[in-house]
Amino acid sequence: MSVAMGRVLPVVVNDRESEGRTPSRPLHRIPETARDPFAPIPPEPLVGAAEHDLTRIAPGRPRANGDAVTIAGRILDEDLKPVRRTLIEVWNANAHGRYSHVIDAGRNEAPLDPHFYGFGRLVTDDNGRYRVRTIKPGAYIARKDISWWRPPHVHFSIVGSGVRLVTQMYFPNEPLNEKDYIFLIVPEADRTRVIGRPSTIEPADVSFDFDIVVRGRFQTPPDAD
Amino acid sequence: MAEERQFTPEATIGPFYPGAFVADMPQDLWTVSPLVAHHPLGEPIALTARFIDAAKRPVPSLVVEFWQANAHGRYRHPLDQSDAPLDPQFNGFARLRTGDDGSLTLRTIKPGARCPRAPHLRLTIFASGIDRLVTQIFFEGDPLNASDPVLVSLGDPTVADRLVARRRSASEYAIDIVLRGDGETPFFDDWSR
Repeated sequence: MSVAMGRVLPVVVNDRESEGRTPSRPLHRIPETARDPFAPIPPEPLVGAAEHDLTRIAPGRPRANGDAVTIAGRILDEDLKPVRRTLIEVWNANAHGRYSHVIDAGRNEAPLDPHFYGFGRLVTDDNGRYRVRTIKPGAYIARKDISWWRPPHVHFSIVGSGVRLVTQMYFPNEPLNEKDYIFLIVPEADRTRVIGRPSTIEPADVSFDFDIVVRGRFQTPPDAD
Repeated sequence: MAEERQFTPEATIGPFYPGAFVADMPQDLWTVSPLVAHHPLGEPIALTARFIDAAKRPVPSLVVEFWQANAHGRYRHPLDQSDAPLDPQFNGFARLRTGDDGSLTLRTIKPGARCPRAPHLRLTIFASGIDRLVTQIFFEGDPLNASDPVLVSLGDPTVADRLVARRRSASEYAIDIVLRGDGETPFFDDWSR
């Protein structure tokens, strides 16, 4: 039997984890008899009303250091239909370029901000829209020996309603973008798709539009048993 | 279908995926809720998966999303129109993270078969350094493995065998997932049509 092969995943240059973990073999195509649309659907979590706002660790608490930014847009499926009620998880470094994560504790000298944890969640509305408030992350050094700096970026994960995607949003006009190996692995023609666009209706320096187009088709949630 | 170029490119989750995002998702599909007497139908099992890189080192802090059918072979998915019943105690989605030893253990039930598929778990894998990977895990000793179209499509039986979890006891299975290098686990292209 001939084995049809799919994509070969690219390795990020100078990223030791990418070099050691990216499969070397082409991906295997799923045979037609086993292709079904049953994409994973997590049970919808109970997301708090303030979880989309990363600028305070809780409502009424002091605002975190740095510039508050708004990122808003739509999640669209491969037919460009809105993906409703899908879970978006967002995380980013603080204004100093430090993550509130134990893994960042040993290797990053930048300070924690007592008013910033840097992660939040929300569920898209019936038009597939979302809106996140966060602090513009600082750049941070990924590898000192080669002076590889990661530019400011916000991580996005979208799961549920028939779609699954993890990506990173970069900010426009950041000189570090063009030197970042994780940014540069994106094909040139697609790079504008991972850069937030300054808003045309809100203050453009702190408001960004970021639409996300995912593979798969939106599926309505299952009926009750 | 949309033009290839308009899709948002994928990226790695990086090293700093928040712990809360794992803790807030189901991590044990056998236990409905602490101290609740209900359990899903089916044979309870524990699957231990260990993730290894090209240098044979364990991969810590790797995130896996499991997705599976219930004991009747039915997915809790709107497009699954099979006659097999849903199980009120079973959703089929779990998210876990590996420890420093590169392994994690999922408590669940053995999924039912669903013609022509043998019982299997679907895995979506995320870690620093890699974009999303997908693969499937099967169960040693299941007679349907021999005719499963995914296992058969791999051609080489030694490669197909890398997706079969070994039975360690009556209710325990274990598998090594090799991300790269000797004995590399087969991964699938779910973009292909």
